[in-house]
Amino acid sequence: MSVLGSGIFKGMAVTLKNFVGSYFDKERLTTNEYAWQANDKLPERAGDYPKEEAEQLSDTTTVTQYSRNFPMLLHDAGEPMDTVRCVACQICERECPPQCIYIEKSTEKKERSGNKAQFYPATFDIDVSVCMSCQICVEVCPFDAIVMNSQFELSTPSRFGELLLRRDDLLKSNDYYYKIHPEEASARDKRIADEKAAKEAKKKAAEAAKKKAAEAKSKSEAEAKAKEEAEAASKPTEPSDTPPAESTATPSTEPPATPTTEPEKEGSAE
Amino acid sequence: MTLDLIKDILLATVPLLIIFPTMFALTTWVERKALARIQNRIGPNKVGVPLTPYGGKLSLFGLGQPAADGIKMLFKENIVPTGADRLFHFLAPILSLIPSMLVLCFLPLDFPWLNGEQNSVKAFMLDGAVIFFFAITGLNTLAVFMAGWASRNKYSLLGGMRAIAQMVSYEIPLVLSAVVVVMIVGSLNADNIAKAQEGWNWFVFQPWGLAAFVIFFIGALAETNRSPFDLPEAESEIIAGYFTEYSGFKFALFFLGEYIAMFAISGLAVTLFLGAGAGPGVESLSWLKIFWFLTKVCILIGVMIWLRGTLPRLRVDQLMGFAWKFLLPLSILNIFVAGFAWHIKDANKETATSVVVWIASIIILYAAAKGLDRVNRAKVKPRTYQYGE
Amino acid sequence: MNEVTAFWMLAAISVLGALIAVRKRNLVHGVFALLVFFVGLAGLFLLLLAEFIAVVQILVYAGAVGILILFAIMLTDRVTGRDAFRVTSRGSFWGALISLAVFLVILLPTIQDIPTIENPTPKETIVETSTVKQLGIHLIKPYIITIEILALLLTAALVGAVTAAQGGRASENEENNK
Repeated sequence: MSVLGSGIFKGMAVTLKNFVGSYFDKERLTTNEYAWQANDKLPERAGDYPKEEAEQLSDTTTVTQYSRNFPMLLHDAGEPMDTVRCVACQICERECPPQCIYIEKSTEKKERSGNKAQFYPATFDIDVSVCMSCQICVEVCPFDAIVMNSQFELSTPSRFGELLLRRDDLLKSNDYYYKIHPEEASARDKRIADEKAAKEAKKKAAEAAKKKAAEAKSKSEAEAKAKEEAEAASKPTEPSDTPPAESTATPSTEPPATPTTEPEKEGSAE
Repeated sequence: MTLDLIKDILLATVPLLIIFPTMFALTTWVERKALARIQNRIGPNKVGVPLTPYGGKLSLFGLGQPAADGIKMLFKENIVPTGADRLFHFLAPILSLIPSMLVLCFLPLDFPWLNGEQNSVKAFMLDGAVIFFFAITGLNTLAVFMAGWASRNKYSLLGGMRAIAQMVSYEIPLVLSAVVVVMIVGSLNADNIAKAQEGWNWFVFQPWGLAAFVIFFIGALAETNRSPFDLPEAESEIIAGYFTEYSGFKFALFFLGEYIAMFAISGLAVTLFLGAGAGPGVESLSWLKIFWFLTKVCILIGVMIWLRGTLPRLRVDQLMGFAWKFLLPLSILNIFVAGFAWHIKDANKETATSVVVWIASIIILYAAAKGLDRVNRAKVKPRTYQYGE
Repeated sequence: MNEVTAFWMLAAISVLGALIAVRKRNLVHGVFALLVFFVGLAGLFLLLLAEFIAVVQILVYAGAVGILILFAIMLTDRVTGRDAFRVTSRGSFWGALISLAVFLVILLPTIQDIPTIENPTPKETIVETSTVKQLGIHLIKPYIITIEILALLLTAALVGAVTAAQGGRASENEENNK
């Protein structure tokens, strides 16, 4: 049988322990004050905040790899704009609930290293004062081009200008991604590789099927021709044999291209 | 004559207007720091006092924070919702500040410079100071309702309604626990009550006094909407309650009014139960009285902050049940216990009797509290969860 | 000089409050104007050195009755009045006359005793000791029966209100239990 009101005092003892302990026990007070700044020096101007990737790393690695706040654009190794993954498809712009993304598509296509020529984002702005960190853009991106950054040191002295992140601010290398979110990055790359392999395999299969179909088609066409020629002598009015041959050939080539990328992505992105 | 009057008025009111808002500013900082430390955070520690316009500052553990907050509040945009009642929306914060400021005058704070040749100057010299205190704090409820209604926002109105229900309910145990002291002293005058507790005769050392003090303190927490009774401004349920639609300086006024009310009611608790200005050394140095009074008020505020960091918020039905089914019967019983104890002691002045009375009243009050607790608990069925577990 | 100024200010506030309370179509505004009137009246009581009455005026009227009216208003569906329901003030003349008559009948004895506000001498000398104490002694000694009867009446009213409010719900609960 407990004394009346003892629960309150028990709770108060716990909080008192925490209160006093936070002054003496380093284990309790885990706050890491500005690890990237020397000697407790506070950033005072916009220029004091790290803009470069290397500097940001020291900032972003003070938080866990599960921390996410605002989106960034990924590019593979090399010159950022040569290897940027984004093709300016504008899906993220359309899906963004607070509509904080603004994209302008380039006028002409551009060769990417290792890939075929694609459009690229001439402008890619994210207003982080509007962004609500919902990650929907990450979910919908079919090219794995947009992922979440964990850089939190974003405060600026001006209200509008510097919170609008431009394309060049957003572009981050895949190596950086590996450093801040190692688990997620390797999972994503593995998935991309798997998909690519699967695609290739399917492509091969499709090609084989196509070849087969083409052979079959040519065969049937030849047969049909022979038949036609044979029939032409007797009945020259109805040339209706070609459509069925076409419809049997097309399904084998086209369907694999569409469903592979979309539904698998959602699950494996987590 | 008029000049003297003005001088007296200024002498009586300006100290109150300086001491308590300053304490308010410091309390906001202390509260944030203490809550942060309770949760193993650092709290505000960066804002300091700038030394030169070009840089360099005195950090002082973030003591510049209240000033920075105040400046921010002053310059923030004043937003009034479209459907709001503009007049009442404007009046509510003012009306919430006035009663809290007004009741500060009833506290027995004797500033030494007010004791002139003939008699001391006070803003109010009223016999019924204690009951005036309750009457005027009761007006706070109206300001809360005004704010909730004028905002034309469902959350505001809900918060306002909750606040009224809570304040009206908790005012009863609050007043009834104060009645005990008034009854024993035989006066409603705050100065007389303070005089009755000189030395170490604080009422809190009596069993009935302790019970009344605990009830009073709980009632005071509810009356000033402090955690764990902060339902009117429960962030997780109704945004910010009745001041959801307030911004800028109007919000600051609400905030100020709330804290001043905290100081005022703590001051009354100190007056009624904790010996007002009594403390070591007051016989030789009269200004020590003010020091001890304010120290006790600060300790009570500290306990309020501590409780805020400790206890979770109550549910609405728990809140009401606690006031009506536990505090109210207990405070009524306490009046009887105090009356009997006082009478027996009055009739028989031996030490043995007083010790017996002392122990007997402790046992009666504790048993009553325990019994009430059990009766109330018996009705609570074990909770079943539809979706949990 | 001070008392007279204070009197006129408080009187003006009270009368204005009362007038607004009557004239306002918005009920909540009306209630708050009424509260202003109550507080002004409390000030007038204070001016007459009747502290306790002033306190009770604030505590009971401005505090409790005001809140009660506000709660009652919140239970209605229409806070601001509609012009369609505007009552034309026919017979306002007779109304004014009757109220004036009542006012005079009530005030006549008092007006005879105190001719001017500049000289507000009460009939008896002011009791120097605490008014609250006097009031308490009077309430407990000569008027104890009255107090008890009033208390009984109020308790009966309270119990009646509770039963009236619980009547429907209790039967409902019983039905649920069956």
